[in-house]
Amino acid sequence: MVDDQPSPRPGPDGEPDGAGQGWTAISYLITGILVWGVIGWLVDRWLDTGGVSIAIGTVIGAAGGVYLIARRLGA
Amino acid sequence: MRERIGEFAAAAAPFPPDVEENFFLPAIVEGTYPWFTKVTVLIWLAVALLIVYFVWAYRDPKLVPTKRQWIAESIYGFARNNIAVDMIGREGVRFAPYLTTLFLFILVNNLFGIIPGIQFSPNAHIAFPAFLAVISYVLFIAVGIRQHGLLKYLKVQLVPPAPAFVLPILIPIEFFSNLIVRPVTLALRLFANMFAGHMILLVFTLGGFALMNANALLFPVSLVSWLMTVALTFLEALIAILQAYIFVVLTASYVQGALAEGH
Repeated sequence: MVDDQPSPRPGPDGEPDGAGQGWTAISYLITGILVWGVIGWLVDRWLDTGGVSIAIGTVIGAAGGVYLIARRLGA
Repeated sequence: MRERIGEFAAAAAPFPPDVEENFFLPAIVEGTYPWFTKVTVLIWLAVALLIVYFVWAYRDPKLVPTKRQWIAESIYGFARNNIAVDMIGREGVRFAPYLTTLFLFILVNNLFGIIPGIQFSPNAHIAFPAFLAVISYVLFIAVGIRQHGLLKYLKVQLVPPAPAFVLPILIPIEFFSNLIVRPVTLALRLFANMFAGHMILLVFTLGGFALMNANALLFPVSLVSWLMTVALTFLEALIAILQAYIFVVLTASYVQGALAEGH
């Protein structure tokens, strides 16, 4: 308010840092597994694969999550 | 005497503590539920406290700040420099007023949970964290759309830099992670922490009475239980501050993500 000029300290303008980055990583991992797990479950209900498609789905989701973390948060 | 206190407590508060009874507080004036309860009064109290405090602190501002002005400026300076600018970059200054207000509002409401005589945080009801999360959600999406335009914003948010054949796997993850999980976790994290905090204090307080009531010989254990309540109250103070901080830092981080150019 009194010193409302932009601070000369440059902020990070690429990725979120610290806590934000950590939460982003966790959320990618969990949502990856959940989203593809649910898709696998739907496929399981449709084709009655005996749960195999859920396993495949969660693995795909985990791989996708890790890949996203590497692309979005890695170099 | 001791047993009578125990009986009274047991009659008044069953153990384990009941959610209906301890979280859905009765209306202060008959027939006004749920619009005039301790919870709504606390919300208005938090709003009033913040307005009055800042109007008072900034009345007649000096170039060399007085003590009250200095404290208010330090709080704003913290939110501006250590949250807004650190997370978002120079553009973050635009969001500093919102982030400061959000931080203080959540903090005051959280602290109500441990202030003796009040000891209930409105944030222990999902409605309040959920609405705060909705405000932040609308904010960061609006910021992103204004910055990039709708289509480019969706592209930045949903389409990661990856070869085309993995995109079908990644886009659903991005969609859930960025547009659905974010507001939900924002609300749940704050709500669950405040809810659990209140529950833990109830368990140790009422547990002391329940033990004493079960067997008079257990009275020393009751004392330990109440000492735990005091210790946990300090822990709750830490959690109150931490959760307010995390909520604001994550909001800032999402705003930053909305402003950022494609990765």
